[in-house]
Amino acid sequence: MVRTSGSTEMLRVAIPKGALFDESVDALARAGYDVGGLRDPGRSLVIRGGEVEYIIAKPTDVPVYVAYGAVDAAIAGRDVLEEAALEIVEMVDLRFGACRFVVAEPVSATRSAEELYRHLGQIRVATKYPRITERHFATRGMQVEIIKLAGNIEIAPLIGIADWIVDITATGTTLRENDLRVVEEVMQSTARFVANPAALATKPDRVTDMAERLSRAVAAREGA
Amino acid sequence: MRPQTPRGFRDVLLDEAAEREAVASTLVGVFDAWGYAPVETPVVESYEVISAAGPAGGEAAPFRLLDSDGELLALRPDMTLPIARVAATRLADDPGPLRVRYLAPVFREHASFRGQARQFTQAGVELIGASGPAADAEVVALAAEALRAFRLTGFTIAIGSVEVLRAFVEAARMPERWGVAVLQAAHARNLPEVQRLVREPGVPAEVAAGLVGALRTRGGLGAIESCREALGACGRSEAVAGVRETFAILDALGYAEEVVVDFGTVRSFGYYTGMVLQVYAPGMGLPVGGGGRYDRLLGTFERPLPAAGFAIGLERLAIALSESGAMPRVRRLDALVGGADAAACFKAAAALRAAGWRVRLACGAIGLDLVRVAERVEAFEAIEAADGVLFRLDRAGGRADVLADPPGSPPSERFSGRRRP
Repeated sequence: MVRTSGSTEMLRVAIPKGALFDESVDALARAGYDVGGLRDPGRSLVIRGGEVEYIIAKPTDVPVYVAYGAVDAAIAGRDVLEEAALEIVEMVDLRFGACRFVVAEPVSATRSAEELYRHLGQIRVATKYPRITERHFATRGMQVEIIKLAGNIEIAPLIGIADWIVDITATGTTLRENDLRVVEEVMQSTARFVANPAALATKPDRVTDMAERLSRAVAAREGA
Repeated sequence: MRPQTPRGFRDVLLDEAAEREAVASTLVGVFDAWGYAPVETPVVESYEVISAAGPAGGEAAPFRLLDSDGELLALRPDMTLPIARVAATRLADDPGPLRVRYLAPVFREHASFRGQARQFTQAGVELIGASGPAADAEVVALAAEALRAFRLTGFTIAIGSVEVLRAFVEAARMPERWGVAVLQAAHARNLPEVQRLVREPGVPAEVAAGLVGALRTRGGLGAIESCREALGACGRSEAVAGVRETFAILDALGYAEEVVVDFGTVRSFGYYTGMVLQVYAPGMGLPVGGGGRYDRLLGTFERPLPAAGFAIGLERLAIALSESGAMPRVRRLDALVGGADAAACFKAAAALRAAGWRVRLACGAIGLDLVRVAERVEAFEAIEAADGVLFRLDRAGGRADVLADPPGSPPSERFSGRRRP
């Protein structure tokens, strides 16, 4: 359940595949890490680069790997961390992968969801992120019924499964193409460098060193 | 029906159970040598008592039950709350300080598919009615001694202090909402969020630098010194005095190798007021134990007293010990005693036990059958009682020789760890 590689010399770092992958590799390269193997991983999911072992993971699994100590550190989106709600140390805001969580509704809705809410006392919300959605509406004091879907959230209102959706958007293009407009913002997200608390306590130098090098690389880029 | 245990609960059997018992007795032995007295409390508490600590956070919600009177009960999620209740009620007249230890199963509700146990065993201590650096150092030193007793090397005890972050927040003189947000972010160990909050208008530069610096600093006396300077710039250098003195005591006693100061260490329970500690073992991604000072908890039970303590998770410690090959040896069977006559078997076994042997009965089994069973249960010897004497059997089931009367010392003492010679 909680065993790690045991090696105190090797640092294990999880890298999310998908949207954040290329920029994660670039960030590590700018911080001076050997990422040659990550540039062209083929089908391998475990890649050695100098004193670091990289694990390529599904983004939503990254917080789980970190919390259970399967990896010492990782790069993960704030959104995924928030949804996982696990005990993880967030060390550096890497600034890339910016997106925001929004509540959206169909532009052409004949009756606004607010009006439905007045009459029915409840709104149905489709999302991939039930925990973030639940917390958001609890803070707003609104009663919602959350429907968890695995993908293509933006079509949920069109096919009548939900009145609203909570989803991430970087540019808003997908929302516009599906005839949706933003009702309100839930939270903003960027990529973060995170660490396992035990790794931070037992091999602080290696983890802190990576955090500082990444942090300097971010600062240098923003200064440029 | 195919019976199974509910999710997050499991059986502990035979070898594992014996090893756990050995781990537990080592811990209990250390706590006892420091003069801590045992206490036992009910598994079930009134929900009111359990919720006295305030909202514990969704991850560690207590297991709730409704009894036939309609009263809301909870299974204890830790031992600190029940012991605080006992100290505030039945032991209220004890002049103190109270030093108690426990070894007890605790229960926590967890969402599905997180791979987390809903029952686990904690071995720990509480020191009630004492405060100050000497009391804090006693708690940390005892945690270190508990792990040293297994000859486990490379473990780390991270100590921090809730007061340090509070002092920075107070020095900022910002609205309360801001302070709560900072402490929450620090608690969630979200450094980028703390950095964002300290950039808000009105936050003094020395507080901003100090807060971020404190959350990043870890180490020994040097780390404490740099934190003291940062606090000094905010006019609050006294906030780190306690940790400083506690660490100085531990350093003088030779614990500096194992103890590291980390002001980012914040425990997930809301009731800690001063020093907090987390215990990490090599190769383990989750802490094997933790605790801290909770000076306000007993006040909620109307007996305000300072208190501190820690607990070690037996299951996690067992994993750490087995990973590092430091698991205490469990004593093997010295002999399996057989023979055609049951009464002779019992008598032979009694004589062996009197000589300190650990023996198991196998009345009726003789010769090769007896040897086969002895090998399967990993007993050192197969001994057959016949004609008023004890025969030691050889591997083929033949009578190798006759045991001396009274029998000599048990083979587990002579050949520790080795197979049947």
